[in-house]
Amino acid sequence: MRLIACLLALLIPATLFAQDRAATLTAITDAHILPSFAELTVRTEALKTATQKDCMPASPDLQTAFHAAFDAWIAVSHLRFGPTEEQDRAFALAFWPDTKGFTPKTLSALIAAEDPAVNDPDAFASVSIAGRGFFALEAMLYDAKFAEQGSAPYRCALIRAIAADIDANADAIRADWQQDYTAKLTAPGPNSPYRSGDEAVQELFKALATGLQFTADTRLGRPMGTFDRPRPNRAEARRSGRALRHVVLSLTALRDLAALLAADHPDVAAELDAGFAHALDRAEKLNDPTFAGVADPQGRFRVETLQQAINDIRDLTATRLGPTLDVAAGFNSLDGD
Amino acid sequence: MTKRRAFLAGLAATGLAPRTSWAELGAPDFLSAALFPDGSYRLAGLRAAGEILFSLPLPARGHAAAAHPHRAEAVAFARRPGTFALVIDCTTGQELARLTAPEGRHFYGHGTFSPDGRLLFTTENDYEAGIGIIGLWDAANGYARLGEFNSGGVGPHDMALMPDGATLVIANGGIETHPDTGRAKLNLPVMRPNLSYLDLTGTVLDQIEPPSELHKNSIRHLTVRADGLVGFAMQWQGNTAEHPPLLGLHRRGEPPRLLTAPETDQRRLNGYAGSVAFSHNGRTAAITSPRGGALHLFDVASGAFTAAHMIEDVCGLGPSPDGLIFTAGTGAVGQLTGTGASVSAQAKCQWDNHLVPVPHT
Repeated sequence: MRLIACLLALLIPATLFAQDRAATLTAITDAHILPSFAELTVRTEALKTATQKDCMPASPDLQTAFHAAFDAWIAVSHLRFGPTEEQDRAFALAFWPDTKGFTPKTLSALIAAEDPAVNDPDAFASVSIAGRGFFALEAMLYDAKFAEQGSAPYRCALIRAIAADIDANADAIRADWQQDYTAKLTAPGPNSPYRSGDEAVQELFKALATGLQFTADTRLGRPMGTFDRPRPNRAEARRSGRALRHVVLSLTALRDLAALLAADHPDVAAELDAGFAHALDRAEKLNDPTFAGVADPQGRFRVETLQQAINDIRDLTATRLGPTLDVAAGFNSLDGD
Repeated sequence: MTKRRAFLAGLAATGLAPRTSWAELGAPDFLSAALFPDGSYRLAGLRAAGEILFSLPLPARGHAAAAHPHRAEAVAFARRPGTFALVIDCTTGQELARLTAPEGRHFYGHGTFSPDGRLLFTTENDYEAGIGIIGLWDAANGYARLGEFNSGGVGPHDMALMPDGATLVIANGGIETHPDTGRAKLNLPVMRPNLSYLDLTGTVLDQIEPPSELHKNSIRHLTVRADGLVGFAMQWQGNTAEHPPLLGLHRRGEPPRLLTAPETDQRRLNGYAGSVAFSHNGRTAAITSPRGGALHLFDVASGAFTAAHMIEDVCGLGPSPDGLIFTAGTGAVGQLTGTGASVSAQAKCQWDNHLVPVPHT
């Protein structure tokens, strides 16, 4: 059956492929990228407003706004190209993993010095990215270490500055997508970073593949550690209880992207969708919001099963989706060193 | 047979065994890891014309190797984050020793011998601390671990000995990884690659870093010309819409020179240079990009870009009597001369990233 499909493919003129690419690219920007970044800016605006109304870490409204905005970021966190990479915006929104503890160090230094950068958005935008974004805000809201550090008014100003900076970054990314990058992605050529529709589709395929890789290897791999040495304290955003939620949100967003990429190949789309459904089912049954369970063998095994389910989707992406999109890579070009 | 092997291994460990020289093996010019059609990973010795003189089985996918300066002996490294390396007698294919990374370390896949062949240096990761390490092994005594020192940065990858025989030059790629998270890059926004010169006791003599706007340009591979000029190849981890230089030249005491092709050619490299070499006469520097299927040539004296050759999945690169030799994941072995690129042999294997020159003594 596949052979027949290949033979048929040979008969289809190349221009038709080009049109397919254009349709795929437009569908993904219209249905996936632009609405998700729009949602992000709405949520970050609400977060900024919430900190202005009440900057107390325990404020329920602030915490709700924090979770909603962070959710919206995780839902776009796989779209790591173009506007998110300008001026390290994505890293300034989410500096994680933080292997050397730069976020607490940067925050402590700001608080100890009562750095006036918190009063000036431009100045705050040049603070180390480790002291900005959702993970810095999470530390200020949920890490007991910062509850008493420095003066209450400074902590309040810092929380407001971080939220305003998050919102400004989200706005900048969305504006770039609206005013510039959508055209570049959907109309490849001399004025685009993509010379052809193939390259643009490859970028989106890469976003799917690296998004899955990040969730499996880093979001799950870091807390899993090794069997002999699990690392529950390395779970992402564990203080705000969000580690598992990030896995679910990212899988949901990646499922959407995969469906759009595979839209012209219903059999591949169905396989991918089943893979995502299985992984999401595993995730939802875990009932372990911070992966604290990795500390014991049984709990770790359950997280490992989830990781395996995601790795199965990665295999499908590489062996089924890649070839149908004609973005397979060579022995050396596939995985650099 | 078992007894004889054990006996030979024992002799090898004491350094008393009669050792074959590279010349007796047919004088291979390069070593390279490859995937063979039967699914086995092997380490091959090949001549510059492309002839495979031998191929020896490896337990897993290899990366680079280190060739002993005198003995027909090679150290084959697993791909990172491998924790072992095999010392292979290239005459018999026999495993002479197995290097196991100490607890808390893994290899990065490159290493080099001291000029007298008594010491082996390996690039390693102290992954809990996120610090680059150079491991020292006693090649004269069964490859016992002698010690280690800091590499001068994070993520050391390729390394070489300078012509003075007393200085190591190390490509500290700047990228932190941890085996718990596979090959995931953990510190991109704060990475700081460098090229470090260390004496053989680990004292840092000299260090250069890319300018701050290029701090995401990971320095990964290098080569040294006979006069001490270092060529280094980089892998861009920043915005893919940018196409920064991927080849650098550096001579100690001078600022580095970063060389680039014009925009249209440069963007074809996809921000990735996999290998770097100087031509036999030293006048040309070359980099390969398997991701772009491209090989770029530069004039060393002027820094000018001189040619681009499109070769599918090209990566391995080394000097040959006529200029340069390249290998590709397609099995192609080819020559670059003053007049152009030509494929001289088509092996039935997939060549891995690197061609490691075998010393001719």
